Amino acid sequence: MRPTRVFKTESFRSAALFATLFLILSWVLLGVVYWIVNNTQTAALVEAIDADISTIKNGYRGEGLPEAIEVIHQRLGSGKYSGEDLPGGYIVIRDEATAKYEGNLELQEFRLGLFSVPAPRSQKHRHRVTVLGRGVYIADGIYLFVGRDTSQIRATRVRIIQAFAWIEGVSIVLAGLGGIFFSVQFMRRIDAIARTCQSIIAGKFTDRIPLRGSGDELDTLSVAINNMLDRISTLLDNLRQVSSDVAHDLRTPLTHLRNRLEEARQKSVTTDDYAAVVSHAIGDTDHLLVIFSALLRISQIESGSRLAAFSTLSLTDILERIYDMYGPVAEDEHHVLQHDIQKDVRIRGDGELLTQMFSNLIENAIRHTPSGTRILIRLAVSGNTVAASVEDNGPGIPLGEYDKVFRRFYRLTSSRSTPGYGLGLALVAAIANLHNAKIELSDNRPGLRCVISFDYPSGSA
Amino acid sequence: MNILLVEDDLELARSVSDYFREHGITVHHRADGVDGLSSACESDYQVIILDRMLPRLDGLNFVRKLREKAVATPVIYLTTMGGIDDRVQGLEAGGDDYLVKPFAFAELLARVRVLSRRPGHSQEPATRLSVGSIELDLLKRTVVRAGKDIELLPQEFRLLEYFVRNPDRVLTRRMLLENVWGIHFDPQTSVVESHISRLRGKVNHGFEFDVIQTVRGTGYKFLAPN
Repeated sequence: MRPTRVFKTESFRSAALFATLFLILSWVLLGVVYWIVNNTQTAALVEAIDADISTIKNGYRGEGLPEAIEVIHQRLGSGKYSGEDLPGGYIVIRDEATAKYEGNLELQEFRLGLFSVPAPRSQKHRHRVTVLGRGVYIADGIYLFVGRDTSQIRATRVRIIQAFAWIEGVSIVLAGLGGIFFSVQFMRRIDAIARTCQSIIAGKFTDRIPLRGSGDELDTLSVAINNMLDRISTLLDNLRQVSSDVAHDLRTPLTHLRNRLEEARQKSVTTDDYAAVVSHAIGDTDHLLVIFSALLRISQIESGSRLAAFSTLSLTDILERIYDMYGPVAEDEHHVLQHDIQKDVRIRGDGELLTQMFSNLIENAIRHTPSGTRILIRLAVSGNTVAASVEDNGPGIPLGEYDKVFRRFYRLTSSRSTPGYGLGLALVAAIANLHNAKIELSDNRPGLRCVISFDYPSGSA
Repeated sequence: MNILLVEDDLELARSVSDYFREHGITVHHRADGVDGLSSACESDYQVIILDRMLPRLDGLNFVRKLREKAVATPVIYLTTMGGIDDRVQGLEAGGDDYLVKPFAFAELLARVRVLSRRPGHSQEPATRLSVGSIELDLLKRTVVRAGKDIELLPQEFRLLEYFVRNPDRVLTRRMLLENVWGIHFDPQTSVVESHISRLRGKVNHGFEFDVIQTVRGTGYKFLAPN
């Protein structure tokens, strides 16, 4: 796991995104807190200043300037008063007429209203402290300034910023660690999926993605992928089965052909001998070609490409035409072909393929039953199902073979002596599948009944 | 007869040419689509045998261009593309017949002979057909042979009609299946034989001359009765 990959995962990115959002929000919160605390503290300071101003003013009104100065000394704890009643407090009074100046601060100018001035240097404060105060005239020519140093406010501000800095620092570290943690977790599971894919590519088709059992989204995805893999492996097995069947079933006629030719080379003497072998060989080749085209046709039908050519057609017409077509054949083989075909039954499908499907079923019934067998072509609509069936009263097939007969190259032991390829019913199954129709074999007591049920398009009745 | 073969498989082209020459047909061979098309437009051929997968110009576009230039020469495809859709596409592009490789030479020859007498595409639909003493009314679906009415079932009538439209020519089993029954697969039972034997019985009943001759190993031939 390369470290750069950890930072590229979606979980890490979302952790980073949320951490950034959190930081922005906490800055806004910091601003608000800072503003409120600053305002409240400043307001308290101004209130205290105004209270002092009014006390000194009252002193002056009562007994004049000396009394005001007395009050000031009292407040400041200076002169004959000892102690520090007012830490960080600064008061200045000046009589403009006599230029008498009293107070613990050197004012450069005598401004009115609220303003800040630098505090005198002292050992108490490392930083340069400012004094916030108000300048007023308490009487004509009597200027008064009362102020407080703002080191308290400053200290509070610093503490707020420090607290926020800590919280943010810790959050960033936690978010980063959390992001990395989830990222690594996520990547482990992704890597597990990738490893499974790699091992399947390498040929281990039985490998599946391990599940955590938590039912989370990755588990859901893994289950879906595993199911898909199961399906693919079933299909692959089928394909393998079919290919080996094909190889095997083509080997037999090819062997016959080869033997025949070899025998001809050894034994044939006259041109007639050779001619006989050649015409047999052509027959064998044709047999092979029929197998090939039947297989191609089945796979072409299974590919579903014919669906595009589907149209609404009359199954009644198709079956009646087939009845007319096979009537004489059945008669020549001493079978009885009958029909019970409902009129005007229309379904969606491919006419050529449907014709071939029912032809195959009827040909099977004709070829694999003894003389005198009755064969019935039936077509009936019941509810929203169209059931087309071919029934005979011949020997039927054993119950256990019902499913197997639709496999490629499968032939009943009893029919091995009749010429055929074992592909007719496989083709029937493929065509029925394409039409979304259900094939059902059942015992006709006696004989075989093959019912093909189509969905009857609603509204076309 | 003079036909054009457009085919890039030289081995196949040689055998087809030889076989046709033995049957009195001259074959001009072109190995690619563009050369083939210019030959088809310049000279007058009775039939064009056309591969679908050709260098430079494929079979479908060959036929489309040929028809655009108003050349009505019948075209038969000779191709390995044997899918159902492939055949439909080929005929829709303007081809007249479709034969899938591998094929029997006799089958190709029979089809070429039938196509060669097809009088282009501008044939007016006839309502009556008559060959020798046999007469078909295509509207009433009735058949008369030497003044004698013959009752036929619909499929027998269609079979006879196809024969009468192509007298004196070998019609193969597959041609009959395609043209009379419209099916393009090989039935595993004797569909054609059963119907022919019934038709024969009805058409020849009371006459000495058998109008439907069996051509061994290939198919049937309709001979006009006097």
